[in-house]
Amino acid sequence: MTLLHLALKDISRNAFRSWAIFLCALLVAGLALATLLITRGAQDSLELAVDRLGADIIVVPQGSETTVESALLMGTPTQVWMPEERIGDVRNVDGVSQASSQLYLTSLKNAACCSVENMFMVAYDPETDFTIQPWLEKNLGGGLSLGEVVGGTFVFVPEGEQNIKLYNYLLTLKANLEPTGSNLDQSMFLTLETARDMSRMSRERAEEPLVIPEGKISAILVKVADGADPDAVAVQILKDVPGVTPVVSPKMFGTFRDQMSAALSSMVLVLSLTLGLSLVFIALVFSMATHERRREIGVLRALGASRAAVVRSLLVQAVILTCAGAVIGAVLAAIGIYLFRDYIVTRVGFPFLFPSLSGLFSFLMVGLAIALCGVLLAVVAPAVRVSRQDPAHAMRE
Amino acid sequence: MKSEAMTEEAASSARQGAPEIADAGQPSAEHVISVADVTKRYGSKKEVQVTAVDTVSLAVSRGEFVVITGRSGSGKTTLLNLISGLTTPTAGHVVLDGVELWSLSDRQRSRLRNEHIGFVFQFPSLVPSLNVLENVMLPRAFGGNHVGDDVESRARMLLSTVGLEEKAAAHPRQLSAGQQQRVVLARSLVNRPTIILADEPSSNLDETTEQEIMELFERVHETTGVTILMVTHTSQLISWGTRSVRMAAGRIIGDEPVAQARSTQD
Ligand SMILES: Nc1ncnc2c1ncn2[C@@H]1O[C@H](COP(=O)(O)OP(=O)(O)O)[C@@H](O)[C@H]1O
Ligand SMILES: [Mg+2]
Repeated sequence: MTLLHLALKDISRNAFRSWAIFLCALLVAGLALATLLITRGAQDSLELAVDRLGADIIVVPQGSETTVESALLMGTPTQVWMPEERIGDVRNVDGVSQASSQLYLTSLKNAACCSVENMFMVAYDPETDFTIQPWLEKNLGGGLSLGEVVGGTFVFVPEGEQNIKLYNYLLTLKANLEPTGSNLDQSMFLTLETARDMSRMSRERAEEPLVIPEGKISAILVKVADGADPDAVAVQILKDVPGVTPVVSPKMFGTFRDQMSAALSSMVLVLSLTLGLSLVFIALVFSMATHERRREIGVLRALGASRAAVVRSLLVQAVILTCAGAVIGAVLAAIGIYLFRDYIVTRVGFPFLFPSLSGLFSFLMVGLAIALCGVLLAVVAPAVRVSRQDPAHAMRE
Repeated sequence: MKSEAMTEEAASSARQGAPEIADAGQPSAEHVISVADVTKRYGSKKEVQVTAVDTVSLAVSRGEFVVITGRSGSGKTTLLNLISGLTTPTAGHVVLDGVELWSLSDRQRSRLRNEHIGFVFQFPSLVPSLNVLENVMLPRAFGGNHVGDDVESRARMLLSTVGLEEKAAAHPRQLSAGQQQRVVLARSLVNRPTIILADEPSSNLDETTEQEIMELFERVHETTGVTILMVTHTSQLISWGTRSVRMAAGRIIGDEPVAQARSTQD
């Protein structure tokens, strides 16, 4: 017979109060976890995209920066073109140390390798590339040869086959990239040579050819010289090179950042409202429940429970209920978000990376802490009040 | 009250409290309960004030069985609550075995209540979510470790004393009112108290059950030598005690030993 035992028995008895605290904790912790998960995950995914880009400036055809950003962040297929002479113009700009062109291509609908309708493909120039090549050398010990590709996490070779077949062209999957939390996980990297070869062959073999306009490129990645200011170089590119828009890498994905912070503030608002309402609700329900039981609490005081013991016993109950509710709420939120992450990515319009288990655990702890602080705040006053009542008075009536 | 059973804190507070009582010229050391000029007034505004207990003094020696009678509203319950420290006196002193109650902290006072006072209430007071055995053991949840025995076997022994050992696993709502009061009596004894305060323990019971409960009190009194203060609703029960105290309008209007009248009665 301990105080804890008494508290546990009490939990099952005060069903309404117990459910109220449990569900409020569940809601608050679940929302807190969802907010953390989505905003932190989006932040991580964004940073990864900037990181992976590996360039100081990306030069795209004028006015196409938003579509290119969404292609590079979300893997949304895009077709933008500019004359390939632009690369020479960019190289001539002061402060540019390296420049390399890329082609953005879209695969046929419903390719066998992938679950997306249209697959985004990036073709790079191994001669000048400084972003993909280093990764390949480090991880594969060399660049890609003709017919070889590197795929996003979810690109796979169909069951029972050796190659990925695209436009009736056989590709060898050399490696998979780390997850990004967007459709980039379904994209592919290949050399310009492979892309052109595939395009040429597709005219004879495929139902629908892969069209790469003659003498066109999609984007130019720029590395600035040591000590040069990327912003100044970008301004210079804007002046010297016609028909292009340079984007400095820290300013990449600006529209997504705006969207993200808007989504974040509305989630924080919803969370605060839920927290506030829960606190008021719990405080009310808890006051009512303790008021109903004041005679019993008077009896416990007579049997030797000190005021502190009464407060402790009531708080222990609230803490147990909150922990149970918060953990279940957080786990449900995590499972829900995990299951519907693709839907959420397309719905909210920005990608997010699901965190590692340890990251998830720390989010869970934060959610639990918020719920615990809230509930304790709500129940401390009623608990102290009932412990301070005159036991003799409480036992009358 | 055995002073070695008290906490160090309680004991030191007792030493501090003692001279105050000596100054008041009241006997204390040989008395288990010593109430000196205690007044309890309810209500804050002068015109609506009720003096529930009015300058009452009462000294009770170890082993007495005091039966308190008086009309409804005469202050009997309030007096018991003052003795147990459940309610604060407006004036006067309450001393239990030399310890001034209101010189203690809430924790010390609760501890003293837990270890030295057993309660039997007029209303149903078992915790509904606990079974009978757990209810009997309940006071140990708040201390009572001084008793130093296995609480469960003691609780079972007490249940068999009140004739309810087979109801140990039952819940209070499954018991009759009389059975519940017997469980409450068992609960009041679990920490081997020096005092039992019983407030109209049989007022809700039929005559046969009342008789059984009173016999139990008598047996407990005889076998343990515990001091009992019992408020009763009818003066017919006075003969169960060793001393009769009568109250009216918050004052004690009669206080006399009970001759061994009851045994000659039946
Ligand atoms: N908590 C309280 N608040 C106001 N008045 C009270 C309170 N407790 C007792 N009284 C009043 O004090 C008087 C004595 O009450 P009580 O001690 O319960 O008498 P008894 O037990 O003899 O019937 C009554 O007039 C009652 O109304
Ligand atoms: Mg009464």
